[in-house]
Amino acid sequence: MTVSVASGKGGAGKTSISAAIAELLAPDCVYADCDVDAANGAIALGASIREREPYNAGPGFRIDADRCVGCGLCAEACRFHAIRHGMTEYSIAAELCERCGACLDRCPVGAIVTYEKRAGELFVSDTRLGIPLIHAELIPGEDTSGKLVRKVRERAERITGEGAVLIVDSPPGIGCPVIASLSGSDLVIIAIEASASGIRDAERLIELVATMKRKVVILINKTGLDPLMDARARNMAGQAGIPIAGEIPFAPELRSLEETGETWLSADCVAQKRVASALRAVKGILYTMKRAKGAQEDRT
Amino acid sequence: MNSSRPAVIAVASGKGGTGKTTVAAHLAFASAQDRKTLLVDLDVEAPDALGYFPQAKPVGGATSVRIAVPQLLEGQCTGCGRCASSCRFGAILCLGGVVTIDGKICKGCGLCVSACPSAALDEAEIEVGNTAEYSTDALIVLEGRTKVGDIRSTAVIEETKTRAREIDVELQIRDCPPGVSCPATHAIEGADYLVLVAEPTEFSIHDLGAALSLARDGGIPVGVVVNKDGFGKADVARFCRERGAQIIGRLAFSRERAEAGAAAALWTGDAAFMAQMTSLLEHALSEARTMKVAP
Repeated sequence: MTVSVASGKGGAGKTSISAAIAELLAPDCVYADCDVDAANGAIALGASIREREPYNAGPGFRIDADRCVGCGLCAEACRFHAIRHGMTEYSIAAELCERCGACLDRCPVGAIVTYEKRAGELFVSDTRLGIPLIHAELIPGEDTSGKLVRKVRERAERITGEGAVLIVDSPPGIGCPVIASLSGSDLVIIAIEASASGIRDAERLIELVATMKRKVVILINKTGLDPLMDARARNMAGQAGIPIAGEIPFAPELRSLEETGETWLSADCVAQKRVASALRAVKGILYTMKRAKGAQEDRT
Repeated sequence: MNSSRPAVIAVASGKGGTGKTTVAAHLAFASAQDRKTLLVDLDVEAPDALGYFPQAKPVGGATSVRIAVPQLLEGQCTGCGRCASSCRFGAILCLGGVVTIDGKICKGCGLCVSACPSAALDEAEIEVGNTAEYSTDALIVLEGRTKVGDIRSTAVIEETKTRAREIDVELQIRDCPPGVSCPATHAIEGADYLVLVAEPTEFSIHDLGAALSLARDGGIPVGVVVNKDGFGKADVARFCRERGAQIIGRLAFSRERAEAGAAAALWTGDAAFMAQMTSLLEHALSEARTMKVAP
Protein backbone atom coordinates (compact mmCIF):
# COMPACT_ATOMS: atom_id res chain seq x y z
CA MET A 1 0.00 0.00 0.00
CA THR A 2 1.55 3.26 -1.12
CA VAL A 3 0.33 6.80 -0.38
CA SER A 4 2.01 9.80 -2.00
CA VAL A 5 1.72 13.35 -0.66
CA ALA A 6 2.02 16.05 -3.33
CA SER A 7 1.02 19.69 -3.80
CA GLY A 8 2.13 21.47 -6.97
CA LYS A 9 3.18 24.56 -5.04
CA GLY A 10 6.15 24.29 -2.70
CA GLY A 11 5.65 25.01 0.99
CA ALA A 12 2.08 23.69 1.02
CA GLY A 13 2.86 21.31 3.88
CA LYS A 14 3.82 18.05 2.14
CA THR A 15 6.59 17.09 4.56
CA SER A 16 4.69 18.15 7.69
CA ILE A 17 1.65 16.12 6.55
CA SER A 18 3.79 13.11 5.59
CA ALA A 19 5.57 13.16 8.95
CA ALA A 20 2.30 13.40 10.90
CA ILE A 21 0.80 10.49 8.93
CA ALA A 22 3.98 8.51 9.68
CA GLU A 23 3.56 9.16 13.40
CA LEU A 24 -0.10 8.12 13.17
CA LEU A 25 0.70 4.85 11.38
CA ALA A 26 3.98 3.96 13.13
CA PRO A 27 5.32 1.30 13.41
CA ASP A 28 3.44 -0.07 10.37
CA CYS A 29 4.88 2.28 7.78
CA VAL A 30 7.98 3.28 5.85
CA TYR A 31 8.81 6.85 4.81
CA ALA A 32 10.31 7.57 1.38
CA ASP A 33 11.49 11.17 1.02
CA CYS A 34 11.32 11.67 -2.73
CA ASP A 35 11.96 15.42 -2.64
CA VAL A 36 15.61 14.65 -3.38
CA ASP A 37 16.36 18.30 -4.29
CA ALA A 38 15.29 19.61 -0.92
CA ALA A 39 15.03 16.62 1.37
CA ASN A 40 13.58 17.53 4.75
CA GLY A 41 12.14 14.18 5.86
CA ALA A 42 15.32 13.49 7.85
CA ILE A 43 14.86 16.74 9.80
CA ALA A 44 11.16 16.07 10.40
CA LEU A 45 11.71 12.52 11.67
CA GLY A 46 15.03 12.94 13.47
CA ALA A 47 17.02 10.45 11.40
CA SER A 48 20.29 8.67 12.00
CA ILE A 49 21.83 7.17 8.89
CA ARG A 50 22.26 3.40 8.90
CA GLU A 51 23.26 2.72 5.27
CA ARG A 52 24.69 4.83 2.45
CA GLU A 53 24.78 4.09 -1.25
CA PRO A 54 26.41 6.30 -3.89
CA TYR A 55 24.25 7.45 -6.78
CA ASN A 56 25.75 7.94 -10.23
CA ALA A 57 23.53 9.51 -12.83
CA GLY A 58 25.48 8.45 -15.91
CA PRO A 59 28.37 10.10 -17.67
CA GLY A 60 29.00 13.80 -18.00
CA PHE A 61 30.76 15.25 -21.06
CA ARG A 62 33.72 17.58 -21.41
CA ILE A 63 36.08 18.76 -24.11
CA ASP A 64 39.71 17.68 -24.01
CA ALA A 65 41.46 20.94 -24.95
CA ASP A 66 44.61 19.13 -26.09
CA ARG A 67 42.74 17.15 -28.70
CA CYS A 68 40.23 19.83 -29.79
CA VAL A 69 41.01 21.37 -33.19
CA GLY A 70 38.38 24.08 -32.81
CA CYS A 71 36.24 23.06 -35.78
CA GLY A 72 33.00 23.86 -33.90
CA LEU A 73 31.07 20.83 -35.21
CA CYS A 74 30.16 19.88 -31.62
CA ALA A 75 28.53 23.27 -31.01
CA GLU A 76 26.60 22.84 -34.26
CA ALA A 77 25.41 19.37 -33.21
CA CYS A 78 24.24 20.52 -29.75
CA ARG A 79 20.60 21.53 -29.79
CA PHE A 80 20.73 22.71 -26.20
CA HIS A 81 23.24 25.52 -26.83
CA ALA A 82 25.46 24.00 -24.15
CA ILE A 83 28.70 24.29 -26.16
CA ARG A 84 30.14 27.75 -26.39
CA HIS A 85 33.24 29.31 -27.76
CA GLY A 86 34.91 31.29 -25.03
CA MET A 87 37.95 33.55 -25.37
CA THR A 88 40.16 30.84 -26.82
CA GLU A 89 38.40 27.49 -26.89
CA TYR A 90 35.15 25.53 -26.89
CA SER A 91 33.70 24.29 -23.64
CA ILE A 92 30.55 22.56 -22.41
CA ALA A 93 28.31 24.40 -19.95
CA ALA A 94 27.37 21.61 -17.53
CA GLU A 95 24.22 23.44 -16.39
CA LEU A 96 22.81 23.38 -19.93
CA CYS A 97 24.09 19.97 -21.08
CA GLU A 98 21.34 17.33 -21.37
CA ARG A 99 23.98 14.57 -21.74
CA CYS A 100 22.60 13.33 -25.07
CA GLY A 101 26.03 12.67 -26.58
CA ALA A 102 25.36 14.37 -29.93
CA CYS A 103 28.67 16.27 -29.59
CA LEU A 104 30.65 13.10 -28.95
CA ASP A 105 29.08 11.50 -31.99
CA ARG A 106 29.92 14.46 -34.24
CA CYS A 107 33.47 15.29 -33.08
CA PRO A 108 35.90 14.17 -35.81
CA VAL A 109 38.97 14.02 -33.55
CA GLY A 110 37.67 12.32 -30.42
CA ALA A 111 38.06 15.43 -28.29
CA ILE A 112 34.81 14.93 -26.38
CA VAL A 113 35.39 12.69 -23.39
CA THR A 114 32.97 11.29 -20.86
CA TYR A 115 33.54 11.09 -17.14
CA GLU A 116 31.68 9.37 -14.33
CA LYS A 117 30.38 11.80 -11.80
CA ARG A 118 28.84 11.16 -8.41
CA ALA A 119 25.41 12.79 -8.58
CA GLY A 120 24.21 12.10 -5.08
CA GLU A 121 23.77 9.59 -2.29
CA LEU A 122 20.94 7.39 -1.10
CA PHE A 123 20.39 6.70 2.61
CA VAL A 124 18.50 4.26 4.77
CA SER A 125 17.97 5.75 8.22
CA ASP A 126 16.46 4.95 11.59
CA THR A 127 14.07 7.55 12.94
CA ARG A 128 12.77 8.64 16.30
CA LEU A 129 9.38 7.17 15.30
CA GLY A 130 11.02 3.75 15.00
CA ILE A 131 10.17 3.49 11.29
CA PRO A 132 12.71 3.34 8.47
CA LEU A 133 13.31 6.41 6.33
CA ILE A 134 14.70 6.15 2.80
CA HIS A 135 16.05 9.44 1.57
CA ALA A 136 18.65 10.91 -0.74
CA GLU A 137 20.66 14.02 -1.38
CA LEU A 138 21.16 15.14 -4.93
CA ILE A 139 24.38 17.09 -5.42
CA PRO A 140 23.23 20.64 -6.26
CA GLY A 141 23.21 21.23 -9.99
CA GLU A 142 23.00 17.55 -10.86
CA ASP A 143 20.53 16.31 -13.40
CA THR A 144 18.18 13.31 -13.36
CA SER A 145 16.38 13.78 -10.08
CA GLY A 146 13.54 11.63 -11.52
CA LYS A 147 15.93 8.69 -11.73
CA LEU A 148 17.04 9.16 -8.11
CA VAL A 149 13.37 9.36 -7.04
CA ARG A 150 12.76 5.98 -8.67
CA LYS A 151 15.76 4.54 -6.80
CA VAL A 152 14.47 5.87 -3.46
CA ARG A 153 11.02 4.40 -4.14
CA GLU A 154 12.38 1.01 -5.24
CA ARG A 155 14.53 0.77 -2.13
CA ALA A 156 11.61 1.76 0.10
CA GLU A 157 9.22 -0.68 -1.59
CA ARG A 158 11.67 -3.52 -0.93
CA ILE A 159 11.63 -2.95 2.83
CA THR A 160 7.93 -2.16 3.17
CA GLY A 161 6.44 -5.29 4.72
CA GLU A 162 3.14 -6.94 3.85
CA GLY A 163 0.32 -4.85 5.27
CA ALA A 164 2.53 -1.82 5.95
CA VAL A 165 2.03 1.58 4.33
CA LEU A 166 4.70 3.30 2.26
CA ILE A 167 4.47 7.09 2.62
CA VAL A 168 5.99 8.99 -0.31
CA ASP A 169 6.83 12.64 0.40
CA SER A 170 6.89 14.11 -3.12
CA PRO A 171 8.68 17.13 -4.58
CA PRO A 172 6.83 20.29 -5.64
CA GLY A 173 5.89 20.95 -9.26
CA ILE A 174 4.38 18.59 -11.81
CA GLY A 175 7.53 17.48 -13.62
CA CYS A 176 9.48 14.26 -13.94
CA PRO A 177 10.40 13.72 -10.25
CA VAL A 178 6.73 14.29 -9.31
CA ILE A 179 5.49 11.80 -11.90
CA ALA A 180 8.08 9.30 -10.59
CA SER A 181 6.81 9.92 -7.03
CA LEU A 182 3.16 9.32 -7.92
CA SER A 183 3.37 6.41 -10.38
CA GLY A 184 2.07 3.21 -8.92
CA SER A 185 0.69 4.82 -5.74
CA ASP A 186 -2.63 3.52 -4.40
CA LEU A 187 -3.60 6.91 -3.00
CA VAL A 188 -2.42 10.46 -3.69
CA ILE A 189 -2.99 13.12 -1.03
CA ILE A 190 -3.01 16.56 -2.61
CA ALA A 191 -2.15 19.30 -0.14
CA ILE A 192 -3.74 22.51 -1.36
CA GLU A 193 -2.44 25.70 0.17
CA ALA A 194 -5.50 27.93 0.50
CA SER A 195 -3.93 30.76 -1.50
CA ALA A 196 -4.27 32.03 -5.05
CA SER A 197 -0.92 30.46 -6.01
CA GLY A 198 -1.57 27.24 -4.10
CA ILE A 199 -4.92 26.74 -5.80
CA ARG A 200 -3.58 27.47 -9.28
CA ASP A 201 -0.71 25.00 -8.84
CA ALA A 202 -2.95 22.32 -7.31
CA GLU A 203 -5.25 22.63 -10.31
CA ARG A 204 -2.41 21.58 -12.61
CA LEU A 205 -1.48 18.72 -10.28
CA ILE A 206 -5.10 17.50 -10.20
CA GLU A 207 -5.05 17.49 -14.01
CA LEU A 208 -1.82 15.44 -13.95
CA VAL A 209 -3.11 12.93 -11.39
CA ALA A 210 -6.32 12.49 -13.42
CA THR A 211 -4.24 11.36 -16.43
CA MET A 212 -2.43 8.90 -14.14
CA LYS A 213 -5.75 7.51 -12.89
CA ARG A 214 -4.83 7.48 -9.19
CA LYS A 215 -7.26 7.61 -6.27
CA VAL A 216 -7.03 11.08 -4.68
CA VAL A 217 -8.02 12.90 -1.49
CA ILE A 218 -7.45 16.55 -0.69
CA LEU A 219 -6.17 18.25 2.45
CA ILE A 220 -6.62 22.01 2.45
CA ASN A 221 -3.80 23.66 4.38
CA LYS A 222 -3.37 27.19 5.80
CA THR A 223 -7.06 27.99 5.82
CA GLY A 224 -8.43 31.10 7.53
CA LEU A 225 -6.12 33.65 5.90
CA ASP A 226 -8.59 34.57 3.17
CA PRO A 227 -12.16 33.17 3.25
CA LEU A 228 -12.45 33.57 -0.52
CA MET A 229 -9.41 31.33 -1.07
CA ASP A 230 -10.76 28.72 1.38
CA ALA A 231 -14.01 28.65 -0.59
CA ARG A 232 -12.19 28.43 -3.91
CA ALA A 233 -10.10 25.49 -2.70
CA ARG A 234 -13.26 23.66 -1.55
CA ASN A 235 -15.00 24.42 -4.85
CA MET A 236 -12.08 23.12 -6.85
CA ALA A 237 -12.16 19.83 -4.94
CA GLY A 238 -15.92 19.61 -5.45
CA GLN A 239 -15.71 20.29 -9.16
CA ALA A 240 -12.95 17.71 -9.60
CA GLY A 241 -15.06 15.21 -7.61
CA ILE A 242 -12.28 14.70 -5.06
CA PRO A 243 -13.18 14.20 -1.38
CA ILE A 244 -11.70 16.60 1.19
CA ALA A 245 -10.19 14.71 4.12
CA GLY A 246 -9.91 17.84 6.21
CA GLU A 247 -8.75 21.42 6.59
CA ILE A 248 -5.75 22.63 8.54
CA PRO A 249 -5.84 26.23 9.73
CA PHE A 250 -2.92 28.62 9.29
CA ALA A 251 -1.32 28.66 12.71
CA PRO A 252 2.19 29.89 13.50
CA GLU A 253 2.35 27.13 16.17
CA LEU A 254 2.27 24.51 13.39
CA ARG A 255 5.27 25.90 11.49
CA SER A 256 8.71 24.37 12.05
CA LEU A 257 7.79 21.74 14.67
CA GLU A 258 11.04 20.01 13.72
CA GLU A 259 12.72 22.37 16.20
CA THR A 260 11.06 20.54 19.07
CA GLY A 261 11.20 17.07 17.52
CA GLU A 262 7.45 16.81 17.12
CA THR A 263 5.05 16.29 14.25
CA TRP A 264 1.71 18.00 13.71
CA LEU A 265 0.04 15.04 15.35
CA SER A 266 1.47 15.84 18.76
CA ALA A 267 1.41 19.63 18.45
CA ASP A 268 0.11 21.42 21.50
CA CYS A 269 -2.15 24.10 20.03
CA VAL A 270 -5.75 24.89 19.13
CA ALA A 271 -5.22 23.91 15.49
CA GLN A 272 -4.09 20.44 16.56
CA LYS A 273 -7.65 19.08 16.83
CA ARG A 274 -8.35 19.94 13.22
CA VAL A 275 -5.06 18.36 12.15
CA ALA A 276 -5.74 15.19 14.11
CA SER A 277 -9.23 14.77 12.69
CA ALA A 278 -8.00 15.37 9.12
CA LEU A 279 -5.29 12.77 9.58
CA ARG A 280 -7.67 10.25 11.16
CA ALA A 281 -9.84 10.64 8.05
CA VAL A 282 -6.82 9.83 5.87
CA LYS A 283 -6.07 6.81 8.06
CA GLY A 284 -9.66 5.65 7.66
CA ILE A 285 -9.46 5.89 3.88
CA LEU A 286 -6.17 3.97 3.88
CA TYR A 287 -7.55 1.16 6.03
CA THR A 288 -10.70 0.86 3.93
CA MET A 289 -8.53 0.65 0.82
CA LYS A 290 -6.29 -1.91 2.49
CA ARG A 291 -9.25 -4.09 3.45
CA ALA A 292 -10.69 -3.84 -0.09
CA LYS A 293 -7.30 -4.78 -1.50
CA GLY A 294 -7.00 -7.71 0.92
CA ALA A 295 -10.48 -8.95 0.01
CA GLN A 296 -9.63 -8.73 -3.67
CA GLU A 297 -6.43 -10.70 -3.13
CA ASP A 298 -8.35 -13.37 -1.18
CA ARG A 299 -10.75 -13.80 -4.07
CA THR A 300 -8.00 -14.27 -6.64
CA MET B 1 27.40 46.89 -17.53
CA ASN B 2 26.93 45.96 -21.16
CA SER B 3 24.27 48.34 -22.46
CA SER B 4 23.08 45.91 -25.14
CA ARG B 5 21.90 43.45 -22.52
CA PRO B 6 19.83 44.09 -19.41
CA ALA B 7 21.04 42.98 -15.99
CA VAL B 8 19.43 39.74 -14.85
CA ILE B 9 18.47 39.16 -11.21
CA ALA B 10 17.27 35.64 -10.39
CA VAL B 11 15.16 34.83 -7.32
CA ALA B 12 15.40 31.24 -6.05
CA SER B 13 15.34 29.38 -2.74
CA GLY B 14 15.89 25.62 -2.62
CA LYS B 15 12.80 25.02 -0.48
CA GLY B 16 9.44 25.83 -2.01
CA GLY B 17 7.00 28.24 -0.43
CA THR B 18 9.56 30.54 1.19
CA GLY B 19 8.40 33.55 -0.82
CA LYS B 20 10.31 33.51 -4.13
CA THR B 21 7.37 34.74 -6.17
CA THR B 22 6.39 37.32 -3.54
CA VAL B 23 9.91 38.76 -3.51
CA ALA B 24 10.30 38.60 -7.31
CA ALA B 25 6.94 40.32 -7.87
CA HIS B 26 7.69 43.12 -5.40
CA LEU B 27 11.21 43.64 -6.76
CA ALA B 28 9.74 43.88 -10.25
CA PHE B 29 7.08 46.31 -9.09
CA ALA B 30 9.68 48.47 -7.30
CA SER B 31 11.99 48.40 -10.32
CA ALA B 32 9.21 49.33 -12.74
CA GLN B 33 8.79 52.67 -10.92
CA ASP B 34 12.18 53.73 -12.29
CA ARG B 35 12.92 51.65 -15.37
CA LYS B 36 11.41 49.35 -17.94
CA THR B 37 11.40 45.94 -16.26
CA LEU B 38 10.67 42.38 -17.30
CA LEU B 39 9.51 39.77 -14.79
CA VAL B 40 10.17 36.29 -16.19
CA ASP B 41 8.32 33.40 -14.60
CA LEU B 42 10.62 30.41 -15.00
CA ASP B 43 8.78 28.26 -12.46
CA VAL B 44 7.19 26.68 -15.51
CA GLU B 45 5.64 23.72 -13.67
CA ALA B 46 3.84 26.03 -11.25
CA PRO B 47 3.84 29.58 -12.65
CA ASP B 48 2.28 32.07 -10.23
CA ALA B 49 3.97 35.45 -10.76
CA LEU B 50 1.24 36.78 -13.04
CA GLY B 51 -1.26 36.33 -10.19
CA TYR B 52 0.25 39.42 -8.51
CA PHE B 53 -0.60 41.61 -11.52
CA PRO B 54 -4.29 41.06 -12.33
CA GLN B 55 -4.37 44.35 -14.25
CA ALA B 56 -1.72 43.14 -16.75
CA LYS B 57 -3.02 42.82 -20.31
CA PRO B 58 -1.97 40.02 -22.65
CA VAL B 59 0.36 41.06 -25.47
CA GLY B 60 -0.60 38.74 -28.30
CA GLY B 61 -1.57 35.18 -27.48
CA ALA B 62 0.38 32.26 -26.03
CA THR B 63 3.28 31.10 -28.19
CA SER B 64 3.95 27.41 -28.10
CA VAL B 65 7.31 25.89 -27.18
CA ARG B 66 8.14 22.98 -29.43
CA ILE B 67 10.82 20.37 -29.73
CA ALA B 68 11.54 18.07 -32.67
CA VAL B 69 11.05 14.37 -31.96
CA PRO B 70 11.84 11.51 -34.35
CA GLN B 71 9.21 9.67 -36.37
CA LEU B 72 9.74 6.40 -38.13
CA LEU B 73 9.33 6.17 -41.91
CA GLU B 74 8.16 2.54 -41.88
CA GLY B 75 9.21 1.44 -45.36
CA GLN B 76 12.77 2.68 -44.92
CA CYS B 77 13.67 1.13 -41.56
CA THR B 78 15.91 -1.92 -41.79
CA GLY B 79 15.64 -2.64 -38.07
CA CYS B 80 19.39 -2.25 -37.48
CA GLY B 81 18.75 -0.70 -34.06
CA ARG B 82 21.40 2.02 -34.27
CA CYS B 83 18.85 4.66 -33.32
CA ALA B 84 18.00 2.73 -30.15
CA SER B 85 21.61 2.26 -29.12
CA SER B 86 22.43 5.92 -29.80
CA CYS B 87 19.63 7.23 -27.56
CA ARG B 88 20.86 7.99 -24.05
CA PHE B 89 17.36 8.64 -22.72
CA GLY B 90 15.97 5.17 -23.43
CA ALA B 91 13.33 6.72 -25.67
CA ILE B 92 13.86 4.25 -28.53
CA LEU B 93 13.42 0.52 -28.28
CA CYS B 94 14.43 -1.94 -31.00
CA LEU B 95 13.17 -5.48 -30.38
CA GLY B 96 13.50 -8.11 -33.07
CA GLY B 97 14.09 -5.43 -35.67
CA VAL B 98 10.98 -3.49 -34.70
CA VAL B 99 11.62 0.11 -33.63
CA THR B 100 9.34 1.85 -31.11
CA ILE B 101 9.80 5.52 -30.22
CA ASP B 102 8.54 6.99 -26.94
CA GLY B 103 7.94 10.64 -27.85
CA LYS B 104 7.11 11.47 -24.23
CA ILE B 105 10.63 10.94 -22.90
CA CYS B 106 12.56 12.02 -26.02
CA LYS B 107 14.54 15.22 -25.38
CA GLY B 108 14.77 16.07 -29.07
CA CYS B 109 18.56 15.96 -29.33
CA GLY B 110 18.42 14.61 -32.90
CA LEU B 111 21.21 12.09 -32.37
CA CYS B 112 19.09 9.13 -33.55
CA VAL B 113 18.34 10.89 -36.83
CA SER B 114 22.01 11.29 -37.62
CA ALA B 115 22.77 7.76 -36.38
CA CYS B 116 20.29 6.15 -38.79
CA PRO B 117 22.14 4.81 -41.84
CA SER B 118 19.01 4.48 -44.00
CA ALA B 119 17.35 7.88 -43.48
CA ALA B 120 14.38 6.15 -41.87
CA LEU B 121 13.83 8.83 -39.23
CA ASP B 122 12.06 12.06 -39.89
CA GLU B 123 11.39 14.74 -37.27
CA ALA B 124 8.10 16.27 -36.25
CA GLU B 125 7.58 19.12 -33.81
CA ILE B 126 5.53 18.57 -30.70
CA GLU B 127 4.37 21.09 -28.12
CA VAL B 128 5.91 20.82 -24.64
CA GLY B 129 4.62 24.11 -23.25
CA ASN B 130 4.10 27.75 -24.08
CA THR B 131 5.06 31.28 -23.21
CA ALA B 132 2.79 34.29 -22.87
CA GLU B 133 3.56 37.98 -22.48
CA TYR B 134 1.55 40.46 -20.41
CA SER B 135 2.12 44.10 -19.76
CA THR B 136 1.17 46.79 -17.29
CA ASP B 137 2.72 50.28 -17.50
CA ALA B 138 6.48 49.89 -17.24
CA LEU B 139 6.33 46.23 -16.28
CA ILE B 140 6.22 43.30 -18.65
CA VAL B 141 5.56 39.78 -17.40
CA LEU B 142 6.69 36.82 -19.49
CA GLU B 143 5.33 33.51 -18.28
CA GLY B 144 6.66 30.08 -19.27
CA ARG B 145 4.36 27.13 -18.72
CA THR B 146 4.93 23.42 -19.29
CA LYS B 147 2.17 21.29 -20.66
CA VAL B 148 0.66 19.16 -17.87
CA GLY B 149 2.15 15.65 -18.02
CA ASP B 150 5.21 16.71 -19.99
CA ILE B 151 8.58 16.10 -18.33
CA ARG B 152 10.60 18.50 -20.52
CA SER B 153 10.35 21.57 -18.33
CA THR B 154 13.97 22.53 -19.07
CA ALA B 155 13.11 22.97 -22.76
CA VAL B 156 10.35 25.41 -21.75
CA ILE B 157 12.69 27.26 -19.37
CA GLU B 158 15.38 27.66 -22.03
CA GLU B 159 12.91 28.85 -24.65
CA THR B 160 11.38 31.32 -22.16
CA LYS B 161 14.89 32.67 -21.46
CA THR B 162 15.50 33.06 -25.19
CA ARG B 163 12.23 34.92 -25.69
CA ALA B 164 12.95 37.10 -22.66
CA ARG B 165 16.18 38.24 -24.33
CA GLU B 166 14.18 39.55 -27.28
CA ILE B 167 12.17 41.92 -25.07
CA ASP B 168 13.79 45.33 -24.78
CA VAL B 169 14.02 46.27 -21.10
CA GLU B 170 16.60 47.64 -18.68
CA LEU B 171 16.24 44.97 -16.02
CA GLN B 172 15.12 41.35 -16.01
CA ILE B 173 13.93 39.64 -12.84
CA ARG B 174 13.54 35.87 -12.93
CA ASP B 175 11.21 33.92 -10.65
CA CYS B 176 12.89 30.50 -10.48
CA PRO B 177 11.54 27.04 -9.59
CA PRO B 178 12.27 25.40 -6.22
CA GLY B 179 14.87 22.67 -5.84
CA VAL B 180 18.48 22.48 -6.95
CA SER B 181 18.34 20.12 -9.93
CA CYS B 182 17.83 20.71 -13.63
CA PRO B 183 14.90 23.17 -13.65
CA ALA B 184 16.53 25.41 -11.01
CA THR B 185 19.96 25.17 -12.66
CA HIS B 186 18.57 26.18 -16.04
CA ALA B 187 16.58 29.04 -14.53
CA ILE B 188 19.58 30.46 -12.64
CA GLU B 189 22.07 30.05 -15.52
CA GLY B 190 23.02 33.38 -17.07
CA ALA B 191 21.89 35.51 -14.10
CA ASP B 192 24.08 38.39 -12.92
CA TYR B 193 22.90 38.20 -9.34
CA LEU B 194 21.00 35.61 -7.31
CA VAL B 195 18.61 36.45 -4.50
CA LEU B 196 17.92 33.40 -2.30
CA VAL B 197 14.77 33.63 -0.22
CA ALA B 198 14.85 31.74 3.08
CA GLU B 199 12.49 31.53 6.04
CA PRO B 200 13.60 30.95 9.64
CA THR B 201 12.85 27.20 9.72
CA GLU B 202 15.24 24.22 9.82
CA PHE B 203 13.72 22.93 6.57
CA SER B 204 14.50 26.17 4.78
CA ILE B 205 18.04 26.45 6.15
CA HIS B 206 18.85 22.94 4.96
CA ASP B 207 17.64 23.69 1.44
CA LEU B 208 19.29 27.13 1.44
CA GLY B 209 22.62 25.35 1.90
CA ALA B 210 22.07 23.38 -1.30
CA ALA B 211 21.01 26.51 -3.19
CA LEU B 212 24.15 28.35 -2.00
CA SER B 213 26.31 25.54 -3.41
CA LEU B 214 24.48 25.85 -6.70
CA ALA B 215 25.19 29.58 -6.90
CA ARG B 216 28.82 29.06 -5.99
CA ASP B 217 29.26 26.43 -8.73
CA GLY B 218 27.77 28.84 -11.23
CA GLY B 219 29.99 31.69 -10.02
CA ILE B 220 26.98 33.94 -9.47
CA PRO B 221 27.10 36.56 -6.68
CA VAL B 222 24.40 35.83 -4.13
CA GLY B 223 22.50 37.50 -1.31
CA VAL B 224 20.04 35.96 1.14
CA VAL B 225 16.68 37.50 2.01
CA VAL B 226 15.09 36.26 5.23
CA ASN B 227 11.35 36.24 4.62
CA LYS B 228 8.72 35.70 7.32
CA ASP B 229 11.34 36.95 9.79
CA GLY B 230 10.17 36.14 13.31
CA PHE B 231 7.89 33.32 12.13
CA GLY B 232 10.27 30.57 13.23
CA LYS B 233 13.23 30.33 15.57
CA ALA B 234 15.80 28.74 13.29
CA ASP B 235 18.96 30.85 13.04
CA VAL B 236 19.41 31.79 9.39
CA ALA B 237 21.97 34.47 10.30
CA ARG B 238 24.30 32.00 11.98
CA PHE B 239 24.00 29.58 9.08
CA CYS B 240 24.80 32.36 6.60
CA ARG B 241 27.82 33.43 8.64
CA GLU B 242 29.13 29.87 8.65
CA ARG B 243 28.63 29.59 4.91
CA GLY B 244 30.04 33.02 4.17
CA ALA B 245 26.79 34.24 2.65
CA GLN B 246 25.48 37.76 3.10
CA ILE B 247 21.99 38.55 4.37
CA ILE B 248 20.80 41.48 2.27
CA GLY B 249 17.33 41.93 3.74
CA ARG B 250 14.81 40.82 6.34
CA LEU B 251 11.08 40.90 5.71
CA ALA B 252 9.12 40.71 8.93
CA PHE B 253 6.36 38.15 9.36
CA SER B 254 2.92 39.52 10.02
CA ARG B 255 -0.47 37.89 9.83
CA GLU B 256 -1.67 40.79 7.63
CA ARG B 257 1.07 40.19 5.08
CA ALA B 258 0.35 36.43 5.14
CA GLU B 259 -3.29 37.26 4.37
CA ALA B 260 -2.25 39.50 1.46
CA GLY B 261 0.07 36.73 0.25
CA ALA B 262 -2.78 34.20 0.28
CA ALA B 263 -4.70 36.44 -2.10
CA ALA B 264 -1.54 37.16 -4.18
CA ALA B 265 -2.05 40.86 -3.46
CA LEU B 266 0.93 43.20 -3.70
CA TRP B 267 1.90 44.69 -0.33
CA THR B 268 2.67 48.07 -1.81
CA GLY B 269 0.69 50.09 0.75
CA ASP B 270 3.40 49.46 3.35
CA ALA B 271 5.97 52.19 2.71
CA ALA B 272 8.63 50.63 4.95
CA PHE B 273 8.25 47.28 3.19
CA MET B 274 8.51 48.87 -0.26
CA ALA B 275 11.55 50.91 0.83
CA GLN B 276 13.18 47.62 1.77
CA MET B 277 12.37 46.23 -1.67
CA THR B 278 13.93 49.25 -3.34
CA SER B 279 17.08 48.95 -1.25
CA LEU B 280 17.28 45.20 -1.97
CA LEU B 281 17.00 45.99 -5.63
CA GLU B 282 19.69 48.68 -5.51
CA HIS B 283 21.99 46.33 -3.64
CA ALA B 284 21.45 43.51 -6.13
CA LEU B 285 22.01 45.87 -9.06
CA SER B 286 25.23 47.27 -7.65
CA GLU B 287 26.58 43.80 -6.94
CA ALA B 288 25.53 42.55 -10.37
CA ARG B 289 27.24 45.47 -12.04
CA THR B 290 30.38 45.11 -9.98
CA MET B 291 30.67 41.49 -10.97
CA LYS B 292 30.11 42.30 -14.63
CA VAL B 293 32.98 44.75 -14.92
CA ALA B 294 35.32 42.55 -12.88
CA PRO B 295 37.71 40.47 -15.02
